[in-house]
Amino acid sequence: MKSKERVRAVIDHRETDRLPIDFGSSFITGIHCSVVEGLRRHFGLEPRPVRVCEPYQMLGEVEPDLLDALGLDVQPIFPQRTIFGFPNENWKPWTTPWGQHVVVSEHFHTYTSVEGDTYIHPKGDRSAPPSGHMPKTGYFFDTIERMDADFDEDDLKVADNLEEFGLMSDGEAAYWRSQAELYRDCDRAISVHLNGTCLGDIALVPAPFLTHPKGVRGVAQWYMTVASEPEFVMELFDRQTEIALENMARLHAIAGDVIDVVVVCGTDFGTQASLFCGVPSVREIWLPRYKRINDWIHRNTAWRTFKHSCGAIEPLIEAFIDSGFDILNPVQCSAAGMDPKELKAKYGDRITFWGGGVNTQETLPFGTPGQVRAEVLERCEIFAPGGGFVFNAIHNVQALTPIENVVAMIEAVDEFNGGR
Amino acid sequence: MNTPLEQLTSAIKAGKRKDAKSATQAALDAAIPPAQILAALGEGMADVGRRFKANEVFVPEVLVAARAMQNSMDLLEPVLIEAGIQPAHTFLICTVEGDLHDIGKNLVAMMIKGANFKVVDLGTNVAPDVLIEAVEAHRADIIGLSALLTTTMPAMREAVARIRERGLKVKIMVGGAPITEGFAHEIGADGYAPDAGSAVELALRLVEAA
Ligand code: B1M
Repeated sequence: MKSKERVRAVIDHRETDRLPIDFGSSFITGIHCSVVEGLRRHFGLEPRPVRVCEPYQMLGEVEPDLLDALGLDVQPIFPQRTIFGFPNENWKPWTTPWGQHVVVSEHFHTYTSVEGDTYIHPKGDRSAPPSGHMPKTGYFFDTIERMDADFDEDDLKVADNLEEFGLMSDGEAAYWRSQAELYRDCDRAISVHLNGTCLGDIALVPAPFLTHPKGVRGVAQWYMTVASEPEFVMELFDRQTEIALENMARLHAIAGDVIDVVVVCGTDFGTQASLFCGVPSVREIWLPRYKRINDWIHRNTAWRTFKHSCGAIEPLIEAFIDSGFDILNPVQCSAAGMDPKELKAKYGDRITFWGGGVNTQETLPFGTPGQVRAEVLERCEIFAPGGGFVFNAIHNVQALTPIENVVAMIEAVDEFNGGR
Repeated sequence: MNTPLEQLTSAIKAGKRKDAKSATQAALDAAIPPAQILAALGEGMADVGRRFKANEVFVPEVLVAARAMQNSMDLLEPVLIEAGIQPAHTFLICTVEGDLHDIGKNLVAMMIKGANFKVVDLGTNVAPDVLIEAVEAHRADIIGLSALLTTTMPAMREAVARIRERGLKVKIMVGGAPITEGFAHEIGADGYAPDAGSAVELALRLVEAA
């Protein structure tokens, strides 16, 4: 069975020759660049600096040699532009604050403050105020809230928060054509992030890709807008969805046959202990727009749709299923009410779990390889039967995760797959 | 017809900033003692904290309630100062070095403020030196540390160690998604709170015990 068939089969809830594995196919199932370097060394791969494919979370590209070494089933086609608004092209060397030599896009322009913190400019435009900040002891960037001086919370304008959503440009279309060409005969399943279908993702609200964002751009400000101006939020999501539907049609015309999985939305609805938003609000504000997107995809394409939400979101899974999502990620079993057995029993035949393979808040970073192995085997036993499970950790594998633990995780999946 | 104080409490509960402002003004105009107005505010916030803990309301509702409280405080604060009414305790709060998550930290800060502490928010990514300086400058009674990342748990340990080393007489409480009671104990903090409502209860216990 080819990887592509295997991934498609499990999403359609059929058991396969072995459990498919993903690391690096999206910006929420990836690996921190420091860990990618450690893995390349562990497997004796050509020693070369890791490419930072996603500069915000500092994810390292899992290149084909590492995909092979780890036995991975999913290949990404990344968006043309990064979250900081520049394309990844013409790689240049950069040394991270923790002293790792990586390569980054030529448009990756940063400066270091006297305190030793790193700041990055949107669109590679040095004249624009920075939109990302990495503390000197940090391992990732975070977005900087740049507030518009003219902003008036009593006079919200949908157009201000729509600035980043536009129709696919000719340049972007050409990019997708070339990528489709490159991966048309790939044996691995192809995963892409759809453009503009993320509804209210708090990482994107501050618009780190824009030089001078207007509108509601603060994190707390956004949540308050959801509570006090739901009509505004719904109108924004409607407009966004309409643009996204057009773009999906264009993408489908160019690369529809190549793509297997589309990441629709990364909005986090869960915290460690609870929800960000009550179930009725999610059903009213998000569900109808998600449904429009998923219905269009299911009517017009063979893609499978992927929803990411961290945290304790068990009370929302039914709503995600009603929205038409095929796949749920990262299945944060370490959050309240996210017991793997109960999730599988209650929802396992109706949605595919892509993640949940190991606890990245405890076991993977702090456990022993033996503990990692035991947890991974247990999760596979729970989630794999009947299909509906793609192995992935919970969210990205973070910096400071011991390489021997990552290797123990991969070996445990192989062990589970053994004999099959 | 509700009294201005009842109106104020319900405006806070519902997160209605304009109503909170007008009710505060009405209460001031009616010469209601500022301490009573403050108590009405606190009652509203305490109710929001209880419902948040019980998963009846969520982050957005707490944020709008806190914004309404701030709108009311803007009017009330000068009057309180004039009347010589000051919070008895100072609470310093921050997210530890290397960490930029601040939604939880901000919620904790708001609820603590609602319980009538003087809150000094040092923001995110705060190095131990800055922290120590601020504890001394503000004569803080409690310092609250938040961390959301496993990669910044060591920074929390370091911050506690540095404060202890310095021999500062300040209580330390900690919280955040990956933090547990056990970890708090291990690094020598005085207490751990799993959520913002519990953080208020813990802060009150810590100052009483002092
Ligand atoms: C002083 O005493 C006290 C007492 C109680 C205290 C306290 C202090 N502090 C908190 N509490 C307690 O009271 C609060 C209220 O009840 C509670 O606070 P919380 O903060 O827990 O709750 C808040 C009210 C709401 N909760 C939150 O705000 C956190 C929610 C989740 C989804 C989350 C969010 C929203 C974000 N994130 Co981040 N994020 C996740 C979170 C998932 C999760 N399981 O928690 C987590 C924490 N993130 C994570 C990561 C890794 C990251 N995030 C990142 C970025 C972001 C956003 C910018 C998108 C956004 C933060 C926006 C902001 N300004 O804060 C990146 C790092 C940024 C940085 N440099 O710090 C990035 C590295 C990106 C990535 N995902 O790879 C994960 C950490 C994993 C780990 N191994 O530690 C994570 C668990 C997600 C996951 N499922 O893997 C209690 O903990």
